[in-house]
Amino acid sequence: MAAVAPVRRPKRRSIPVGRILLLGFFLLFVLWPLYWMFNTSIKPSDDYLTVPPVWFPSAPTLVHYEAALFAYRGLDGLINSLIISLSATVLSALFGTLMAYSLARYNTGGQHLSFWVLSQRFLPPIGIVLPVFLIYRGVGLYDTHIGLIIAYTVFTLPVSVWMMFAYFRGMPKSMEEAALVDGCTRWEAFWRVAVPLAAPGIVAAAVFAFIACWTEFFFALILTSRTAFTLPTVFRAFIGFQGAQYGEAAALAIVSLVPSIALGVLAQRHLVRGLTLGAVRG
Amino acid sequence: MQYTATVSRMKAAGAPPRLSSFAQWADRHFKWLLVAPAVLLILALSIYPLLFSLVVSFINYDFQVPGHGFVGLKNFERVVFDPVARWSLLLTAWLSGVSVAIEFVLGLLVALTMVRSFPGRGVIMSILIVPLFISPVIVGQAWTLLLQRPFGPTNYILTQLLGQEVTIGWMTEAPWLYVSLIIADVWQWTPFMFVILLAGLTAIPPNLYEAAELDGVNAWQAFWAITLPHLAPMMLLALTFRLLDAIRMFDTIFIMTGGGPGTRTYTASYYLYTVGFTQFHLSQATAGSWLFLIFTALVVTLLVRRLLKAEPV
Repeated sequence: MAAVAPVRRPKRRSIPVGRILLLGFFLLFVLWPLYWMFNTSIKPSDDYLTVPPVWFPSAPTLVHYEAALFAYRGLDGLINSLIISLSATVLSALFGTLMAYSLARYNTGGQHLSFWVLSQRFLPPIGIVLPVFLIYRGVGLYDTHIGLIIAYTVFTLPVSVWMMFAYFRGMPKSMEEAALVDGCTRWEAFWRVAVPLAAPGIVAAAVFAFIACWTEFFFALILTSRTAFTLPTVFRAFIGFQGAQYGEAAALAIVSLVPSIALGVLAQRHLVRGLTLGAVRG
Repeated sequence: MQYTATVSRMKAAGAPPRLSSFAQWADRHFKWLLVAPAVLLILALSIYPLLFSLVVSFINYDFQVPGHGFVGLKNFERVVFDPVARWSLLLTAWLSGVSVAIEFVLGLLVALTMVRSFPGRGVIMSILIVPLFISPVIVGQAWTLLLQRPFGPTNYILTQLLGQEVTIGWMTEAPWLYVSLIIADVWQWTPFMFVILLAGLTAIPPNLYEAAELDGVNAWQAFWAITLPHLAPMMLLALTFRLLDAIRMFDTIFIMTGGGPGTRTYTASYYLYTVGFTQFHLSQATAGSWLFLIFTALVVTLLVRRLLKAEPV
């Protein structure tokens, strides 16, 4: 098996055919659904059922985008998603940074508090969302932006806290200690010294919180209906119909995946920390 | 006390004592004030709902049966003796096990091809991680577009490749709909394995391989003797994280099969969703979700405890 040759070997003997094939196949596997979705989104409806399929639409059209955004309320979903994801991201990054700093510098609550937060990450959402649905209906937060913002803030907090926890632990204390000696309060040492130094980490944590909110479906499905619905829940409209709405579904998908992919690729330096909640530096 | 030490140092340095009594109080309890918002939010929206659902699972809370009387273990019994519930738990374990295994092997292979730098590696890296940033709903939608008869091109491509007519109902016929769900999951999450394993691979000191090569060790032996043991903690971490997410599987099923045909693609999350939100047996669903929670907790304690002891980094 050529693919399992030792890594970083200085000599190059021959062209690694096995590797190129494997990587090429995998690249094709990743790109193919994306291409087909894009292709479907600009394909006239007449081209849906031809044999052989239309690989490159000869007369590309934007009608599906128009229908998806307006007739299917995709634009409303997009705006809701933006409002809810951005608000939850800001809150999550803010509260997460506050907590992470306290955990990292003052060892607040020992290991118990930090692992308690981590354990929230592994709770199955179905266990939380059922009672939250009942509570929200009782207090009037069901199908409101505020309700989903709070839910998303809590749902992304473990990631924000742990990413920032790892970041602060990797940062030298000396600057903050110097600030304290110079007469700063602890708040000033945190806000004026530590936070600016940790800014890249905070931005990275915020990006991953945003992507998590932007792509989330389950909470939005259950906690919203006709007012605060987010972009992923709009796809419910396309389930079960045979054929007619493929273009609209594809167009909405393309609109929805552009922001999160752009952000994710820009923040890919922090990806490993984001995926492992700071456990691996990467 | 650290605080008074700071103040005396400030006084010694000639700093004016400028703290109001509130600021002094805030400074003294600083570390608890910082954790307060996050902890209160988690208590309010995670711990309180969990306790509330524990109460609900022992009473009658059903949109079809009026009243909220205490019913003991009846809700739990209904779930435990529901064959669909047992099927869904089995399917959850089976689907997530198979998906994660495939993702692990494929992710490791791709990571091994990406360790050494080569022209275009950066671009390829950026493409390979794209699925991680896409909503599972869209992933389900994308594979629906590819697989669903008669619109999807997959059967046509297979017909051309195999030279005989292929008419597979990818979303409706028994073995194939599981294949479809697994493919969608593998497409989305293989990059997760790949990214973490690649980070682990690049952290292995290269001089180990150089030394091995001097000793005349072949590639396969080097993999077993150097790569595998060094990568083991990272493998455990990737598998644990991935498995804990895989057992929640819901979104792709919702879009691709809707649990059907019948209840054949009910996973645990999908089963509890339908019990709670299409049949409105809310107390039965909360009882079931507690059972699922306990099941998950068992997996967590088994895997995460070991992980924390291994202390990977």
